[in-house]
Amino acid sequence: MSTRQTAYTTSGTETKALGKKFAGVLCGGDVVGLFGDLGAGKTTFVKGLAQGFGVRRVVKSPSFTLMNIHQTKHRGIKQLVHIDCYRLTNPNQLEEIGALEYFGRKDIVVIVEWAEKVKRLLPKKFLKVYFNIKKGDEREVRFG
Amino acid sequence: MLFWLIYNDFMLILGIETSCDETAAAVVEVKKGRFLSRANTVLSQINIHKKYGGVVPEIAARKHVKNIIPVIDQTLKRARVSPKNIDRIAVTTGPGLMTSLLVGSQTAKTLAFAWNKKIVPVNHLKAHLYANFLHNKKVIFPVVALIVSGGHTELILMRNATSFKKIGQTIDDAAGEAFDKVAQLIGLSYPGGPALAKLALGGDATAFAFPRPMLDADNFDFSFSGLKTAVRYAVEKSPRLTSPLKKNLAASFQQASVDVLVAKTVRAATVYKAKMLMLAGGVAANVLLRDTVTREAKKIKRPLLIPDFIFCTDNAAMIAVAGYFEKPVDWDKIIVDPNLEI
Repeated sequence: MSTRQTAYTTSGTETKALGKKFAGVLCGGDVVGLFGDLGAGKTTFVKGLAQGFGVRRVVKSPSFTLMNIHQTKHRGIKQLVHIDCYRLTNPNQLEEIGALEYFGRKDIVVIVEWAEKVKRLLPKKFLKVYFNIKKGDEREVRFG
Repeated sequence: MLFWLIYNDFMLILGIETSCDETAAAVVEVKKGRFLSRANTVLSQINIHKKYGGVVPEIAARKHVKNIIPVIDQTLKRARVSPKNIDRIAVTTGPGLMTSLLVGSQTAKTLAFAWNKKIVPVNHLKAHLYANFLHNKKVIFPVVALIVSGGHTELILMRNATSFKKIGQTIDDAAGEAFDKVAQLIGLSYPGGPALAKLALGGDATAFAFPRPMLDADNFDFSFSGLKTAVRYAVEKSPRLTSPLKKNLAASFQQASVDVLVAKTVRAATVYKAKMLMLAGGVAANVLLRDTVTREAKKIKRPLLIPDFIFCTDNAAMIAVAGYFEKPVDWDKIIVDPNLEI
């Protein structure tokens, strides 16, 4: 999905299923930035993605805790690091919470919500997923 | 022998808390199984965060470093306790922000080493429940307790003072987080929760029929993400966000959240045959939640404990109480865990 692709979902369940499918194309060391407004489906997408990696624990929004680290049931990828930059106002704060240590490690996939706030600290080739709110529960999810 | 008994029944615990916004220290006196807060200092960083619209870890950590020693020093003075009379130190080791947790735990370790004391590592969530033990309150087990804060929404079953079983939790946003995000959607500044509750006072709680997520689900889990999105849709549908409209949105959202929180807590109390209900965490300061849960507890004839306002939000007195129940260890055995669970 590194080439430009767009998907449309009509419910949270579908957004979750899309996340689960997306997990299949990720490799260890990948950093994925998620873009989109409050309620656009970012955390829902990550829930599906975590399911794809066999994460047992409930994936909750890290808006308050900023970073949640989940153990996976995947052979090559051992941890899913879920970061939320909702509250950050300065990209350097990402470094302050120790997040950069997880980037590019072969046994870890990192997901960053509100990636636009910390763009310049993310690895050059980070994957991007954009969420747009359409009519009602409809969402446009663009991979770029 | 008698002297030994009396001596053993008296304990002074220094509590230290730096897991999120607050730099806090407290001295709690334990006497015959009763807990008295001798001094409780909370230095809130909310005013600093207000400028930035959220809890900023870098600032939080830096301020903790600057403030922690003066806060502890002042607390000991106000409690009229000298370090040599402290029996043990209790410190939050999780969950929370790594950078913030480290400030408190490193301070506790340093003091424990210098004063030759043992440390009790404390789970911040359990400590919220222990806030209910303060000031001579009698606890009757089993207890069903609801913890509601910015980062957490959990239903806990306590069979005794040290037995914690999670029976339900939020599967997405915490209740306090939903309050904060909805507050932002209707244009309030951080911290949004209390401001939203204030705004709701003048609103009509039936103006918007927001969903009661998972109210009828056959479990004790919560979900607030969809409710937040429902408010978003309502905001977008409105051509202009007038003051009465904001009030109605706030009141309707608050009512929907409280309805679900209380209904599930009461149902859990019945299913688990609880003899008592408990409320804890920052959102336990919300007046509608307090009033509603008080009324519903009366209906099912169960006594209810809610901490005093000052012990609902993050504080170190609750950490000190937790320190009485957990096992003390040497300073070099303290490890922080940002994702610690109950």
